[in-house]
Amino acid sequence: MSQPPSKPTVYRPLSPHLQVWKFHITMFTSILHRATGLALVVGAVLVAAWLLAIGLTASGCCPQAYTAFLTFAASPFGLFVWFGLSLAAFIHLTGGIRHLIWDLGLGFQLKSANALSWWGLLLGIALTIAFWAVLLATSKVVL
Amino acid sequence: MVDSYLKERSSKDWKKSEKHGAGEWLAERWTSVALIVLTGWALWSAYGLMGQGYEAALAFVKVPLNAGLLSLTFVITVWHTHMGLTANVLDYFPNARALKLISALFCLVLLVAALGGIFLAFKA
Repeated sequence: MSQPPSKPTVYRPLSPHLQVWKFHITMFTSILHRATGLALVVGAVLVAAWLLAIGLTASGCCPQAYTAFLTFAASPFGLFVWFGLSLAAFIHLTGGIRHLIWDLGLGFQLKSANALSWWGLLLGIALTIAFWAVLLATSKVVL
Repeated sequence: MVDSYLKERSSKDWKKSEKHGAGEWLAERWTSVALIVLTGWALWSAYGLMGQGYEAALAFVKVPLNAGLLSLTFVITVWHTHMGLTANVLDYFPNARALKLISALFCLVLLVAALGGIFLAFKA
């Protein structure tokens, strides 16, 4: 076998690049799992900002912090962002459950793997629609 | 082609988790399982607090169980996020130490902001 590389850099196998892949649903949902995971970083930032706004307002050092957060969160753009985040969250949730099923060694037949990917994607979208339908129906969100 | 690939880039040369075995792989899975439960609780709580205003939000965070669960949710979220970001960076920029450092710093700031907010609200 070869010697360890003398250069300071270390070889790692790179992920396959998009142009060498023919579209298939497991590839698409794999990319989507990463993309939604990255998008959810924005969600974590917003929830952290919400907690910080409560803390800063409560401590009295920045009494307008919560109002400033709400001004963004309840604005049309804020609602658009929340909607996108909820879609990313539900797709990442069903995608994560799919990966956990695969990690148990189940569902690796081509048919099952494809079906799991489709069902995860569709369920993620359906859960998002249901969540917002409830929010609108109970007047938690008013457009 | 396969032979030369193996000779030039032996799996022995690839940086892998030889020091911590399956630890990170397992951490990715167990944080996922924990987050299914914790984000479910957070989503349910968010639904209850929506439109209720500042006082309700403050009262919610001041309940010790809620403050504890919020903190736990954030610690595990940031841990999971850090592993996810690092995995993304390593797959495309295997030697980018700066990107890994930025990811770690970002996660640290996120954690401090969230836990700091919970602490300030809880103490107020």
